[in-house]
Amino acid sequence: MKVRMSVLTAVVAVLIVIGAAEARIKLVALPERAATVIRLDNPAATLIEEERVLTLQKGLNKVDFSWKAVSIDSDSIRLTVLDHPEDVTLLNVSYPPNEAALVWEIASSGDYAETVRISYLLSNIDRLVTYKAIADKAETKVDLKSYLVLRNFSGEDFANARVLLDYGDSFEQGIAHEETKQMLFLKADGVPITKVWKWDSATLPWDAEKLNNENVGIPVSYRIVNDKKSGLGEFSLWGGKARLFQDDGRESTIFLGEDGSAVVPVGEKMELYIGDSRDIVVTQRKMQDSRINVRKNNRGDVILFDTDEVITAKIENFKDSPAVLTMIQHIDGQWDMAKCNMKYERKDAFTLEFEIELPARGADGPAVKELEMHYHRRNVRQ
Amino acid sequence: MKQCLCIAAIAAAACGAWAKVDLTTLPERETVQLTIYNSADLTLVRESRPLTLKEGENSLQFSWENTLIDPTSLEMVPKARAGQIEISELVYPARVRNLGLWKVHSEVSGKVPVEITYLTSGLSWRAFYMGTLTADEKAMRLQGYVVVTNNSGEDYANAQTRLIVGKVHMIDEIAALARRQYPYGSPTEAVVLERLRDRRDQVDTKLYFGRAAGVLEELSKRKEIVKEGLSEYFLYTIEGTETIPTGWSKRLPSFEADEVGVVNLYKFEEERYGGQVVRFLSFKNDAEHKLGETPIPGGVLKVYRDVGAGGHLSYEGQSAFKYIPVDEDVELNLGAAADVMVEPKLMNVAMENYRFDSRGNIAGWDDVQTYRIEARNGRAVPVKIEIKRNFATSYWKLTNAREYGEYEVEDLDTVKYTLALGAQSKQAFEYTVRMYQGSRQEDWRE
Repeated sequence: MKVRMSVLTAVVAVLIVIGAAEARIKLVALPERAATVIRLDNPAATLIEEERVLTLQKGLNKVDFSWKAVSIDSDSIRLTVLDHPEDVTLLNVSYPPNEAALVWEIASSGDYAETVRISYLLSNIDRLVTYKAIADKAETKVDLKSYLVLRNFSGEDFANARVLLDYGDSFEQGIAHEETKQMLFLKADGVPITKVWKWDSATLPWDAEKLNNENVGIPVSYRIVNDKKSGLGEFSLWGGKARLFQDDGRESTIFLGEDGSAVVPVGEKMELYIGDSRDIVVTQRKMQDSRINVRKNNRGDVILFDTDEVITAKIENFKDSPAVLTMIQHIDGQWDMAKCNMKYERKDAFTLEFEIELPARGADGPAVKELEMHYHRRNVRQ
Repeated sequence: MKQCLCIAAIAAAACGAWAKVDLTTLPERETVQLTIYNSADLTLVRESRPLTLKEGENSLQFSWENTLIDPTSLEMVPKARAGQIEISELVYPARVRNLGLWKVHSEVSGKVPVEITYLTSGLSWRAFYMGTLTADEKAMRLQGYVVVTNNSGEDYANAQTRLIVGKVHMIDEIAALARRQYPYGSPTEAVVLERLRDRRDQVDTKLYFGRAAGVLEELSKRKEIVKEGLSEYFLYTIEGTETIPTGWSKRLPSFEADEVGVVNLYKFEEERYGGQVVRFLSFKNDAEHKLGETPIPGGVLKVYRDVGAGGHLSYEGQSAFKYIPVDEDVELNLGAAADVMVEPKLMNVAMENYRFDSRGNIAGWDDVQTYRIEARNGRAVPVKIEIKRNFATSYWKLTNAREYGEYEVEDLDTVKYTLALGAQSKQAFEYTVRMYQGSRQEDWRE
């Protein structure tokens, strides 16, 4: 453990003030911070809970809590009496002008060395999560590691604190101001993955030949399910950056790519986009788009028509391994399919999804499949 | 700007004093492997070092001043005595930059080999090609090279060098991560996702300079490059090791294929190329063309042609081309051709089949156009010409277009004619297109 530097740029001090508070220069006890908890279960804010022993006298006590060079949300500060909750009552809180401070007025029915818990939201201390996964050569499973990264830029040094996440056991950890710590907190070997190639007609160019010397990369993702079967599923996987590597079969790895993941609740899928495949080529063309069933008003103007449209897509697999391409097609408005030579699933009113199984490249060239969709859009208004 | 990559085991680990006076050992790199990407400014470095650990807690300091290492990518893995050595955390201490501290718990004392991996920017590679056409332009000798450039700030001596062909997905630039004040940034700042186009330009300039001023080392024996596919990428492993000091570049031959059969393909499409005919050199990345073992990484090809005795060459042009998978056709754009011409001439126009609406206004008609297309080859070699014609509507019919073989329908408003012309010859054909306008479109299906 690193020894704390002698110079602290910021402190949180608790002052106990006995007697009238107006002058605010009083007998001061500086109770040691006892147990400190850093709660990181909410990604938006970090809650600090610290216990201190206050020397309370019978009657009214004023306790001054002030802070310097740290950012505390003053509305978040709470005081909880732990030893004599029946006999010690927090009467009110007042805020001195132009100070980062507050004064608690506490009524006590006796003289107590009272343990209290002070909790507050502290800014600029948080945690990140990163993932590192190494896929096997066949790309069927990954060894997944997740790291917790604690970042403390709050202005406060925590020599020793209990760190709580939203799951798992808490652990002891000290962290100084401006320090970043990266800790391994999840390790799951042999997590099954599905490799997904996805071509979306709305986002990718239809015909690579019309581009000048650019390959159309088809996005490739790894899909991991956060469930028991995958050796996971105990808790949500936090969002964070994931870096993926692959075992090259020669006791080394290559870097496959990186992606950001959102929170993945138990039972849900994490999809990590690793890179683009340039060995699967899709060439899509519209072969027909004409009006049928044209309806006119009394003046002979077209007011309503249907369409007769044909789209073809040639899918070539130049890889020496098979692949399953997910192809997304979009048809707007009201439509019906006249003929389609491949099975699709209607994902919503305007989206069709095809799962196209592509064999590996053969001796005589790439594996080729051709999709032909013949459909009508209905009741299109002029 | 020399390397400052060092690693130090710290004796006084338990008390946590990591000041540099506590250094006890400074283990040298034993081996280093570089996996360099060309689609992003990214290199995976894997190095092995022998560490001397003592039983109990050990702190290990790693610093990377003046390098372009992404500190968040650092990882250390023991390569022996697994289970007895636990690397619990990596600390980036306060008030120090470019330094990380590994906390290692060891149940044994003595030498332990470890492997350290990280991502760095500043190393790059690119492919380029030289093609030499035979005098009859039917075949080409194709030579591929790779140029590896090191601008990383770190000298890599005797490094096993591997090159990755493929497009990786990145959400941050390594160069930007390397320049961060704090490895993971701080909560006060938004995560920096800089897109460093300017810097890229700088790097490219340096790269070029590095190459010009650097060495093109001639090897007495050419090195083999082993190629294999991994995931969506191709991995090229250069035989043996390479030493590439920072600022230097190195060019290595990657493959050579003799007598790659090529077709002189000329394309004409007014909407795309204007009135010019564009010359392409076409072949296929397959065994028949003496290729096809691996995909060909994108790069620039300079094409020369043998001009008779004495081995003299003529420069034909250059073409940047994209990544070519195995079995894929290659079309290299060599630019506009001066001695092959295609001239479309509108020979006749007519408007027919007028339709009128209830108020007597024009509601529909047919535009009938006859074109004569003349193609001329002024070259001394035969050529193939692809002529594409686009119609302004999807309601069209071609009536007499079969004079020179079948045309192909490319899509709803484009057709393609393919002509083979002998040396210094010309051909012409005519077609008539009927385009249905307005309400006449309703009759198009008849």
